[in-house]
Amino acid sequence: MTHLADTPIIRVENAAKAYSGRLAIAPLSFTVAEGEKVAVLGPSGSGKTTLLHLTAGIIHPDSGTVELGGHATSELGAGGESASLVGAIHQQYDLVGHLSVVHNVLAGRLGRWGLLRSLWSLLSPQDLGLAEDALERVGLLERLYERTSRLSGGEQQRVAIARLLVQDPRVIVADEPVASLDPARARDLLILLSSVASDAGKTLVASLHSTELATEFFDRAIGLRDGLVVFDLPVMELDRGILDDLYHLEVAG
Amino acid sequence: MRAVPRAPRIEGRGLLTLLLIGAVGLSALSVPWGGDLVHPGGGSAVGSIVKALARVELSPEFLRITAYAAWTTLRFAVAGVTLALAIGLPLGVVASGVLTRSGGRKTASIVVARFVLALLRSIHELVWAWLFVVAIGLSPMAVILALALPYAGILGRVFADALIDVPEEPLRALRSAGASEIKLLVYGRLTIALPDMLGYGFYRFECAIRSAAIFSFVGVQGLGYQIQLSLDDLLWNEVWTLLIALAALVLLVDAWSSQVRRRLVS
Repeated sequence: MTHLADTPIIRVENAAKAYSGRLAIAPLSFTVAEGEKVAVLGPSGSGKTTLLHLTAGIIHPDSGTVELGGHATSELGAGGESASLVGAIHQQYDLVGHLSVVHNVLAGRLGRWGLLRSLWSLLSPQDLGLAEDALERVGLLERLYERTSRLSGGEQQRVAIARLLVQDPRVIVADEPVASLDPARARDLLILLSSVASDAGKTLVASLHSTELATEFFDRAIGLRDGLVVFDLPVMELDRGILDDLYHLEVAG
Repeated sequence: MRAVPRAPRIEGRGLLTLLLIGAVGLSALSVPWGGDLVHPGGGSAVGSIVKALARVELSPEFLRITAYAAWTTLRFAVAGVTLALAIGLPLGVVASGVLTRSGGRKTASIVVARFVLALLRSIHELVWAWLFVVAIGLSPMAVILALALPYAGILGRVFADALIDVPEEPLRALRSAGASEIKLLVYGRLTIALPDMLGYGFYRFECAIRSAAIFSFVGVQGLGYQIQLSLDDLLWNEVWTLLIALAALVLLVDAWSSQVRRRLVS
């Protein structure tokens, strides 16, 4: 580890994942440098979610390796160790609707708190300042003690980002973060997500449907089709031809 | 080779349904529909029971007896259900297997907890009452235990399923935020399942009132005991007062339950 600065934060090497015999991710490899923002593009069923779950350590590859900060995700202990490396947000249903906003945000601390502190926090919120700062950042400070299920879809997504802020991982993995939002809200959310990542030098990997949003907010795009990397380019180099190839429907012959 | 999905076999199920309906219909033929179906005095007895409803016993003295009996029954039910929750909830958590990751220990703990729960609830509360009265005598403790054990078995079984059936997405998010299984239980599973668990707990509380009233069969005070006394003297007007008090208790719990659940869900 002599060139620590050069070590990529994410290294995926020949990773493959199959579900009931069908290959969701064919053996593929790529690396992501710390602080980089990568969009994963591809048609439905191309394996985007599987790839993001592999990157977030939610699932492990059948073969090959996924390394975060130099550790194989399959060997990362659950709990604090993995939570300080990588955090995830998904398109929705991510929060516990019955809990108030403050507890959903402070759930980002569960990897660091001991059991008693975690339980006590439900009665008397711990590290309240952190939750307030995070909610202020996402513009929801006044909703602190509201029941989370009362918030709109877009607001809940911002609560999930506040939780990530409190969790403070080095890598943020976002699986279709804007899929259920209208275009204006989708842009707002990506502005927030990418500034959260930029400010703290975090690495961001997100799957998206919109190539415009990818070019606007990300450094690099990985095109995925049938579980294989079709392209891996800086967003400037994306053009119509490349994208048409990615999304065109195969005509059954 | 093409894999053509087979059509679902609705025809067979429909036929079975028809057969069963036919069997129920045919069974009516075996009923002797003659004059012996209701015993001769039955009609007038039903008449006097219904007529007693018009002159329900409302004397202050009897109302005091009724109130005290209702209070006794309620106390048994509260104590029994509280103890049942204290036993059933931890057993239910173990039986759900959510605290242990996969492996032999997980299977073993699930099987043992499920077996204990099944044993507790497969014996009726009246049989438990008889056992405890024989073992420790006719004390309030015997009645409370007789209520608590089978109810713990039922509550534990239902709670276990409720904890398993929690949607996966919020749990996955909590896990990736670093929550251990026990933190996941409190922040995720219990929180999400709480409204259902509370609703079922309250329903069981209603059942406990009914059961506590029935315990007069083993000689315990309460509404059931008073009903038995009035029945022995064929004082239907008193029986009605006591039955209305019983129904009022159940309605009271029902109202309390909906109020608590409304506050929790909205």
